[in-house]
Amino acid sequence: MIQDYLILSVILFCLGILGVITRRNVFSVFMSIELMLNAANLAFIAFSRLHESMDGHVLALMVMAVAAAEAALALAVVILLHKHKSKLDTNIFSLLKG
Amino acid sequence: MFAEALFFGFAVLSVLGAIGLLVFRHPMNGAMSLVVTMISLAGLYALLSAKLIFALQLIVYAGAIMSLVLFIIMFLNIQESDLPAEKGRWLYQLGGIIVIIPIASFLIKIVKSIPGSKATIVGSGFGGVKEVGLVLFQDWLLPFEIVSILLLVALLGAVVLAGKRRMSK
Repeated sequence: MIQDYLILSVILFCLGILGVITRRNVFSVFMSIELMLNAANLAFIAFSRLHESMDGHVLALMVMAVAAAEAALALAVVILLHKHKSKLDTNIFSLLKG
Repeated sequence: MFAEALFFGFAVLSVLGAIGLLVFRHPMNGAMSLVVTMISLAGLYALLSAKLIFALQLIVYAGAIMSLVLFIIMFLNIQESDLPAEKGRWLYQLGGIIVIIPIASFLIKIVKSIPGSKATIVGSGFGGVKEVGLVLFQDWLLPFEIVSILLLVALLGAVVLAGKRRMSK
């Protein structure tokens, strides 16, 4: 059934939210965001199968492109922050706090 | 029957990979368990007869993005002492679960009200390169071009971020 796929997508998305709000390692937070994007992709593909149209597949392609761009930029920022502070703790990266 | 068994196996594997991402302390172990999640999601896409997305999930997500993440984790040479202490992480996660459960049950209730259909595997005419390409280059041409500009901007941004140190010297 299609609903099983959607329920799985909800579960994966909630696990991703849990990772973002409870982990303090930069890499774990980043990979939790990737997990949330993947859960959204699964929902897109399941709805596309439900309605027998290809629009969901195209949206999943767009999400993949955005995730690739995000990965490149986020990892560059993480490398720069690690060079400056030599830490991976998100609580230390509070440069914009003022 | 066989498809249901495959769905159950892939679903359990993907949820276990996601839980491993939450539980493992070292990011290397978390990345490996996320790769398990990505590969089982590719299997789920194949069960939904999305052939192109199945291949792209394996190539782009499990291949390119995760190998980039693994490369950076190895490049920074993270030791056990570099990791944040994360004192009381289990307490935080318990609180997070308590906050998340109402949202999740609400979403699952919404999902269950959708009129569902059987997810049988479609042979041809759905989810292949031809069908996705026709929709992508006819109805979604402008978003496609915007995404290409976004990728160009990300490329320039990565070059600027990586080259800043050399310019300042």
